[in-house]
Amino acid sequence: MLGKGVVGGGGGTKAPKPSFVSYVRPEEIHTNEKEVTEKEVTLHLLPGEQLLCEASTVLKYVQEDSCQHGVYGRLVCTDFKIAFLGDDESALDNDFDEKKKTLFGQLKKYPEKLIIHCKDLRVFQFCLRYTKEEEVKRIVSGIIHHTQAPKLLKRLFLFSYATAAQNNTVTDPKNHTVMFDTLKDWCWELERTKGNMKYKAVSVNEGYKVCERLPAYFVVPTPLPEENVQRFQGHGIPIWCWSCHNGSALLKMSALPKEQDDGILQIQKSFLDGVYKTIHRPPYEIVKTEDLSSNFLSLQEIQTAYSKFKQLFLIDNSTEFWDTDIKWFSLLESSSWLDIIRRCLKKAIEITECMEAQNMNVLLLEENASDLCCLISSLVQLMMDPHCRTRIGFQSLIQKEWVMGGHCFLDRCNHLRQNDKEEVPVFLLFLDCVWQLVHQHPPAFEFTETYLTVLSDSLYIPIFSTFFFNSPHQKDTNMGREGQDTQSKPLNLLTVWDWSVQFEPKAQTLLKNPLYVEKPKLDKGQRKGMRFKHQRQLSLPLTQSKSSPKRGFFREETDHLIKNLLGKRISKLINSSDELQDNFREFYDSWHSKPTDYHGLLLPHIEGPEIKVWAQRYLRWIPEAQILGGGRVATMSKLLEMMEEVQSLQEKIDERHHSQQAPQAEAPCLLRNSARLSSLFPFALLQRHSSKPVLPTSGWKALGDEDDLAKREDEFVDLGDV
Amino acid sequence: MWWGGRGQSFNIAPQKEEPEMGSVQESRMPEPRSRQPSSCLASRCLPGEQILAWAPGVRKGLEPELSGTLICTNLRVTFQPCGWQQNQDTPFSSEYDFALVNIGRLEAVSGLSRVQLLRPGSLLKFIPEEIMIHGRDFRLLRVGFEAAGLEPQAFQVTMAIVQARAQSNPAQPYSGITLSKAGQGSGSRKPPVPLMETAEDWETERKKQAARGWRVSTVNERFDVATSLPRYFWVPNRILDSEVRRAFGHFHQGRGPRLSWHHPGGSDLLRCGGFYTASDPNKEDIRAVESMLQAGHSDVVLVDTMDELPSLADVQLAHLRLRALCLPDSSVAEDKWLSALEGTRWLDYIRACLRKASDISVLVTSRVRSVILQERGDRDLNGLLSSLVQLLSAPEARTLFGFQSLVQREWVAAGHPFLTRLGGTGASEEAPVFLLFLDCVWQLLQQFPADFEFSEFFLLALHDSVRVPDTLTFLRNTPWERGKQSGQLNSYTQVYTPGYSQPPAGNSFNLQLSVWDWDLRYSNAQILQFQNPGYDPEHCPDSWLPRPQPSFLIPGPPSSVWLFSRGALTPLNQLCPWRDSPSLLAVSSRWLPRPAISSESLADQEWGLPSHWGACPLPPGLLLPGYLGPQIRFWKRCYLRGRPEVQMGLSSPTISGLQDELSHLQELLRKWTPRISPEVHSKKRDPHTILNPTEIVGILKGRAEGDLG
Repeated sequence: MLGKGVVGGGGGTKAPKPSFVSYVRPEEIHTNEKEVTEKEVTLHLLPGEQLLCEASTVLKYVQEDSCQHGVYGRLVCTDFKIAFLGDDESALDNDFDEKKKTLFGQLKKYPEKLIIHCKDLRVFQFCLRYTKEEEVKRIVSGIIHHTQAPKLLKRLFLFSYATAAQNNTVTDPKNHTVMFDTLKDWCWELERTKGNMKYKAVSVNEGYKVCERLPAYFVVPTPLPEENVQRFQGHGIPIWCWSCHNGSALLKMSALPKEQDDGILQIQKSFLDGVYKTIHRPPYEIVKTEDLSSNFLSLQEIQTAYSKFKQLFLIDNSTEFWDTDIKWFSLLESSSWLDIIRRCLKKAIEITECMEAQNMNVLLLEENASDLCCLISSLVQLMMDPHCRTRIGFQSLIQKEWVMGGHCFLDRCNHLRQNDKEEVPVFLLFLDCVWQLVHQHPPAFEFTETYLTVLSDSLYIPIFSTFFFNSPHQKDTNMGREGQDTQSKPLNLLTVWDWSVQFEPKAQTLLKNPLYVEKPKLDKGQRKGMRFKHQRQLSLPLTQSKSSPKRGFFREETDHLIKNLLGKRISKLINSSDELQDNFREFYDSWHSKPTDYHGLLLPHIEGPEIKVWAQRYLRWIPEAQILGGGRVATMSKLLEMMEEVQSLQEKIDERHHSQQAPQAEAPCLLRNSARLSSLFPFALLQRHSSKPVLPTSGWKALGDEDDLAKREDEFVDLGDV
Repeated sequence: MWWGGRGQSFNIAPQKEEPEMGSVQESRMPEPRSRQPSSCLASRCLPGEQILAWAPGVRKGLEPELSGTLICTNLRVTFQPCGWQQNQDTPFSSEYDFALVNIGRLEAVSGLSRVQLLRPGSLLKFIPEEIMIHGRDFRLLRVGFEAAGLEPQAFQVTMAIVQARAQSNPAQPYSGITLSKAGQGSGSRKPPVPLMETAEDWETERKKQAARGWRVSTVNERFDVATSLPRYFWVPNRILDSEVRRAFGHFHQGRGPRLSWHHPGGSDLLRCGGFYTASDPNKEDIRAVESMLQAGHSDVVLVDTMDELPSLADVQLAHLRLRALCLPDSSVAEDKWLSALEGTRWLDYIRACLRKASDISVLVTSRVRSVILQERGDRDLNGLLSSLVQLLSAPEARTLFGFQSLVQREWVAAGHPFLTRLGGTGASEEAPVFLLFLDCVWQLLQQFPADFEFSEFFLLALHDSVRVPDTLTFLRNTPWERGKQSGQLNSYTQVYTPGYSQPPAGNSFNLQLSVWDWDLRYSNAQILQFQNPGYDPEHCPDSWLPRPQPSFLIPGPPSSVWLFSRGALTPLNQLCPWRDSPSLLAVSSRWLPRPAISSESLADQEWGLPSHWGACPLPPGLLLPGYLGPQIRFWKRCYLRGRPEVQMGLSSPTISGLQDELSHLQELLRKWTPRISPEVHSKKRDPHTILNPTEIVGILKGRAEGDLG
């Protein structure tokens, strides 16, 4: 990660900050040393995890408060994590993270200080002054090598883990996330959305014979000949994403390769004409093409914005934080990350309007149909399809649009650190857009913002296969599923959707929104697509009032009115008299002026004051942002308490009613009995030093055993007495 | 029409016209085509109120559009939806009443392109099709007029509003208002908020605070020490009234040091005006002043409240900018919103106030000492800080009752010049310090949603009340003026009320109305929403007095005197400026420039955190607010009421589902109650208090309500 290295170098040339001058004196270290030797902490290794290098007598700066002091311990680097073992803290780890090394004095071979910036925006600082020189050399070069140098796919920890832990992995049978890796899954989705009348699932790409970019199975318009798919390796083919209740559908298409040769261009043109003819003819609705490669966001923009935005939260020390604090809003604005979120949401609303109000098909066009296509199509479905707002539905959506849709997670997350330019946080942008929706309409979602936060963290945990491949083809070939005849047993990789791998049931309650109420008629076994018909018809606040794209008098009048009377006032939103913009405005306003149906169409607010910072994700490691006893968690705990009471009342009634013992349901009590939680809960360090967050990052369950958990809870209760 | 206004503060669906009432209504409602206001309209008038003009119209900008009548009287502009009267049990409507003073901007719209901004004295150039009334409290009322022959009426009512507004006198209260429900009076209501106008109120409050070293002084009973001070206040036990009188003379406008609040841990929070530097006190006076400031403590901290806080002009400018920004047609592009918001500096000022208040709470809590808030006038920022400190440190102040008494004591009784600050006496000294305070409280409410008994709606109601001339609370500058008006003094004079023939009965002043009589303007359903459903009283146990009470010795000269300025304590040689060194407030060189923006909060300095932190966390009951950029939010529900994006779903399947489930459960429970064993019963709270529908609505909204940062 050379780019990052340069940034770090820049930091190094800054004048040393005064805060690092008066650190812990050696005497104090000795007293600490005793403690440490008393309770020697052992390193927990995952199956297949190997210790690479370590260094002792390392000071970890506790940067949780303004006072500088350190905790003494051992710094360990394995092929999964960097861990600090010291005091009573077993492991503060993170998996291959971004890192910046600051050298005081350019030519020094043995740096005194190591600053690690994690991808989840934590910052760790280690002092190596009291460490043996050879250990310093070893650990620093080891860490740099294992976290910064490019590596091969097969060297990912994922594979060592999968090989070593093969027999332990049991997939949760209750996990109903649709993986979309079988023809059946696609047929089910078609049936669920009533798309099966006009679209068909095809298996032409079975074994990735046609194209390695596409999944083995996908859905295309019924009349489309299968040989068309093969013609340009799947390019130029409208691929079905989702069907709306009114029959209009969302399609995506990857652009045909750019050619210079006129002859080939001619062939391409006639091919596309043929394709368009099929989907323009009835029974298909009018198609509107939305080219996401031009006139919309570029990946470069996203990358730049995020790296600027991220800097606002990567705090090396408190002073820095206070310095940026004065100009908080302008800095935030200048990163334009929030504006990018707004533009994505707006685009999704525009497409929703076309489908919902104008009954048009929308064809998303992008070079590979695997970046912004995934983002926009997922957002549209999230807004239009209440099923996607359940946890299972959301996970299935990510499977369908992102994992099977061929989003290049490996490149976009730069897991192999081979090309920094390819590293674009598109998926994170998507999660941030979803967060805006969740934040604005909490009762509409079965999952919480905490769910989104841990999902964004899971992107970098290399024991789950979900986000570590560029395409299903790459995954299958590397897992040995492809070559069935080879001797090696196919690897069984964990999926991130199995949350029990990461979190205990109690912690998992934090992922579930207590306010979410399923549509009463909704059957829990959602495999039965038939049930959805009724529900979805109920849930249309704006149905058919203007189903025709041409709308006579009313429409003209509106135009007239807007252009003349309001032209001046709303020029900030309507830059042109573009019909699209007018439709959009009208649709948006009319939806927002009506009561929200949480099981129907759901639109976000996109005005300036409404797009916000995902505080939980971005501020959770900043102790200055902690409000003791405050924050939304206070409301949440009250809410959970109330829900519990309702539940227990219900149980009591049931019990009496049936005159039999109802099973004693253990109420979720993570938030109970705790007088003062911090606003950073469940991530915060509740006290100033050495306490574990309730919801730790990066698979702590895999690191600790059951005893650990018990200890953790004790700690929590203790802190609750604060 | 995205720019249409809602102007609705509460989450209560507007009453729709009930068809079965139709026949009754027909006779009572004005005939749409008639040119005479019906008797019914007049019957809704207040004593002394005259209807100047009216026109039928339709409230716009909201679903559903309501038809009704727009009425302009000599006191207010009001919109009465059809069928409104039957349901209304308050003399005023918090939704549709616009006191003339409150009208910030008036626009008439005609045709498709004509918009005229109507200033006092301007002449309407066309027949309006729609009128937009922007309140200075950020509300917006849009009324569209019916066509078909009623144009003259529309014209008339618009012009009437322009004229009435020009003639309105902000200091003139509505007269002869009585509470709507006659018998309701003070009996059925909760303990009335003490108006702090009698010695008993002060004595009760003193006992409540257990301020043992203090007594109620009657020295200002005839307002001859200072008219801006209340008739009673607290002074140290040992100080004689004659000494008080002498000492107060050496302070700006006679506002000497008084107790604001006694911390249960032993500290005292005092407030006073600036030293009157021109005076030449003798030794005895100085000793009196010093011992009043010292208040029996050996550790004394003088806080200059003007330091690091915005000036009055700053506050006013920021508020004007904020209002401009929040106008529905403000020209700020969406992607420039954040910097525009930053440019108003309003949030910056809030942050400064919170930071300072948080620091002072630490000073008060961490050690037993006397903390003196000193502001030159002692009528603006002192009140703001002293109230915030009490909100942060005293759980009682966070109850609905406690907060109202706090405002009554620290603002109304303490002589905050409401009329001037809210623009009642010309623009020169206008500065909405009180609104700044309300925003600060709202920030606290956001940060500690479980610690306050009152809700955002209560704050909104208070926010909207400051310009409604129905009670004298916010209509006078000093307690003296207020007392004079309400006839408390013997110099009772009949106030001339134009057009009001019948003199008020003798007993009409017995029941003096204050802003705390919420049922003047708010319906019961609205008042219910004043309660914060997320309030968790367990957070503030009654026995939260952890600190040992120090013996109340009378020390000699204070052993340490500090000046708190720019986030740090600097030692002072002496308390008073007169003896041999120049005045505290006159010479700025005594202040050290703040070294840098200290990253170390005062809490860390004072408690020696963090080593100390683990063992002894924050004292219970003390809230330390966050005041970082990402934590200070924008009060959307207040400032953006004129814009539609604040609209929330009035009902939702989730809420109604929960409601159904709950009522079902409660029904079942009622059936089973006889069989519930007593222990079970005692454990569970009464199901009716656990969840009522409005509470759930409130909670959901609270969650939906977002943070800006």
